[in-house]
Amino acid sequence: MPGHLTSVEPVRKSVTVPAAPQRAFDLFTAHIQEWWPLRTHSVGAGDAVGVAFGDGVGGAIIETLADGATSVWGTITHWEPPHRVAFTWHAGTTEAEATRVEVTFTQDGPGSTVVRLVHSGWERRPDGASARDGYDSGWEPVIGSFAAAVARAH
Amino acid sequence: MVLEALGDRTRRQIVHRLRAGPSSVGELAAALPVSRPAVSQHLTVLRRSGLVSYSELGTRNVYRLDPAGLRELKNWLDGFWETVLDRYAERVREDSADRADRGTPPRPE
Repeated sequence: MPGHLTSVEPVRKSVTVPAAPQRAFDLFTAHIQEWWPLRTHSVGAGDAVGVAFGDGVGGAIIETLADGATSVWGTITHWEPPHRVAFTWHAGTTEAEATRVEVTFTQDGPGSTVVRLVHSGWERRPDGASARDGYDSGWEPVIGSFAAAVARAH
Repeated sequence: MVLEALGDRTRRQIVHRLRAGPSSVGELAAALPVSRPAVSQHLTVLRRSGLVSYSELGTRNVYRLDPAGLRELKNWLDGFWETVLDRYAERVREDSADRADRGTPPRPE
């Protein structure tokens, strides 16, 4: 089968916001709870009450549910305020199914920042890491992203 | 539909296997810790979702990934992050407006 049928290109999104990069970075990370659409974009859906972003490499992005239970969405792998933050992404699934998200903040004039987000990691890995782990990162993680949560919410 | 189909770990494993190429039910059952009838049931769900299609090859039914399902998945992911960034941008705009109201200049870089 041709490879293109079984690969998923990275998702790339960008938005320009009226804030300097540092403020844009702080709002994206430390203030995530103020804007993240928890009701529709969480593992717990209606039961989700909060989300917190770690503040350095190794920190986690954690959702909290009404009963106090938590769900880890990912772990920060790069922390370069105010320019860049990157993290693994395995919301709704296990760490073994993690994909990668990178967000960059680029000044675009005074008080204006372009925020670019790239979600990748479900392509076939050329580096052999997957073979070593006995796990070929690919379709599984894609699907992991909230699949179960979405199914429950419907 | 695609996401519902993929909410199940065994079905994710089947899809994962099919990435390597088309397979028969028997081959999938041999590779996974589930029975042949169970694999058949999962394949039915995957076919309904559009992720997997099948063709008859001699006496065998061969299953393969269907690009249509893949596109739906990609669209879902696009929509997911688009909503997230929209909400984020909205919050930044509110924040900037609040600061302007208070006379707080944007923090210089």
